[in-house]
Amino acid sequence: MIRTEEMLLNVGPQHPSTHGVFRLVLKLDGEMIIEATPVIGYLHRGTEKLAENLQFTQIIPYTDRMDYLAAMTNNYVLCHAVETMMNIEIPERAEYLRVITMELGRIASHLVWWGTYLLDLGATSPFLYAFREREMIINLLNEISGGRLTFNYMRVGGVKWDAPEGWIEKVKEFVPYMREQLKGYDQLVTGNEIFLNRVKGIGVYTKEEALNYSLSGANLRCTGVKWDLRKDEPYSIYDRFEFDSITAETGDAWARYQVRLQEIEESLKILEQAADQIPAQGDMIGKVPKIIKPPQGEAFVRIESPRGEIGCFIASDGKKEPYRLKFRRPSFYNLQILPKLLVGQNMANLIAILGAIDIVLGEVDG
Amino acid sequence: MMLGLAKGLTYTLKNLTKKKLTYDYPNEPLPLPDRFRGIQKFYPEKCIVCNQCANICPTDCITLTGKKHPDPKKRGKIIETYDINFEICILCDLCTEVCPTEAIIMTNNFELAEYSRDELFKDLQWLDENDQNLRKENKA
Repeated sequence: MIRTEEMLLNVGPQHPSTHGVFRLVLKLDGEMIIEATPVIGYLHRGTEKLAENLQFTQIIPYTDRMDYLAAMTNNYVLCHAVETMMNIEIPERAEYLRVITMELGRIASHLVWWGTYLLDLGATSPFLYAFREREMIINLLNEISGGRLTFNYMRVGGVKWDAPEGWIEKVKEFVPYMREQLKGYDQLVTGNEIFLNRVKGIGVYTKEEALNYSLSGANLRCTGVKWDLRKDEPYSIYDRFEFDSITAETGDAWARYQVRLQEIEESLKILEQAADQIPAQGDMIGKVPKIIKPPQGEAFVRIESPRGEIGCFIASDGKKEPYRLKFRRPSFYNLQILPKLLVGQNMANLIAILGAIDIVLGEVDG
Repeated sequence: MMLGLAKGLTYTLKNLTKKKLTYDYPNEPLPLPDRFRGIQKFYPEKCIVCNQCANICPTDCITLTGKKHPDPKKRGKIIETYDINFEICILCDLCTEVCPTEAIIMTNNFELAEYSRDELFKDLQWLDENDQNLRKENKA
C-alpha cells in the first residue's frame, strides 16, 4: 500500500512570481492544494502611523511608495481628500495634467501586469514588448515630474510643475502609437492556444462572491458588475470624457485579462480627449494657505486606481498633521479571495490565479 | 489548431529587424530630462540658515547648523555645517522646493553606490563640489 501524507510548502516570500515579498503556506496533497494561508507584512512600513507625525505635503512622497506601479493615483487620492476637507478649487490646467498623468500611470500599470502575467505563465517575450511601451510612459512622467516611479508630482491644490514644452504633443503622439502596439499584443498573445488553455476557467468566482469579498477594479468588473468610480462617482474632471467601463462575464482569469487590456484602450481615449481639451495656460496651484491645516472633522474619498478602489480617510483635529490617516488599499482587499480560489487547484495554477489578481505588495502591506 | 501560435510568431519576427532600444549604460551616460531629481548641490554662500529644508524633509535626513555672520555690520547667520544622510534621503525634491534662495538644488547625478554606509553621509564640502549636470529649472 502507498502511504500518502500532506505536505507543507512555502511559496515565497522571495519568489519572483509573488511579485514582491508575499508568502503563501500551502498544504498539498500531491499536486493539489488543500489549504492556502497567505502571510503578509514583509513590506510593512507603517505609512499610516508615520503620517501622523508628518505635514500633508510630506506625506505625498510616502504615498508614492504604496502602489509603486501607479503612484500618480496615490498622490491624487491624498491630495483629493485634503482638498475635499478644505474646499480647495483646483485650476483647470492642473486638473487636466492630473488626469493625463493618472491615465498614463494606469496604462503603465496594466502593461506591467500584462507583461509579468505572461512571464509567470512562461512566455518571456510579451514582457519585453510591454516594458518597451512602459518605458516610453515612464520617460514622459519623468520629464514632467522628475521621477521615474516616485513622482511626488501632485500637491494639495494642484500640481508641482507645468508640463514642459512639447510634452502634451508627445502624449498626443503616444496615443496612436500605443493603439498600434495593442493590436500587436492581441496578435502575440490573445489568440495563443497555450495561453487560452492556461487562463480559461481558472480562478472563477461569481458576482456575489466578488461583492462579498469587496473586490474592486478589474477583479470586480470581470464578473459583470459595471462599477467604475470614474463613471459612477465622477471625481476630478472625468465626467467630461467619453469612455466605457469595461466588463466581462465569466469571472475567470481570462475575463480579467480581457478587462485589463481593454481598459488600456479606454485610458487612451481619455488621454486623447484630455490632451485636446487642456487649456493652453493656467495656474498650477489654486488658492492654498501657506500652512495646510484641514478643519476639524473627517473626510473619506475614493477613486479608481488601476487595481481598484483606493480610498483615503483623514481625521483631522485642526493641526498641520492628520490625527489619523487611513488608506483603503485595493490590492489588500483583492488579495483576500485568494485562499478560497486556490483550494482544490493544481499547484501549477497557483501562479496563474495569483497573477490574475494583480497585487502590488507595497500596497498590500502599506 | 495552432493558428494563434503562428500569428504570435509573425509578430516576434516582425520585431526582429527593429532598432535596438537598450542603452549602452554605463559606458555611455544615460540621457535624463532636466527635471530629474538627483543628488543635491548645495551653495553655502546662498544659504541663509532658515531651516526650512530640514523642517520639510519627510525623512529628517538634513542636519544643519549656522553661526553668526563674521562681518559685524551684517545681520543674519551663515551656514556652518550642512549634512545630508543619503541612507535615508528619498530625493523627493521638497528641500529644493521650499528653499527661498535656491541654495539647494537638484542635479542629474544619481550614482550613489558606496562601499560603506558611512560614506553615504555627505557633508557641506561634498555637496558644494557636486556641481555637474545641474538642474536648470528649479522653481515651478
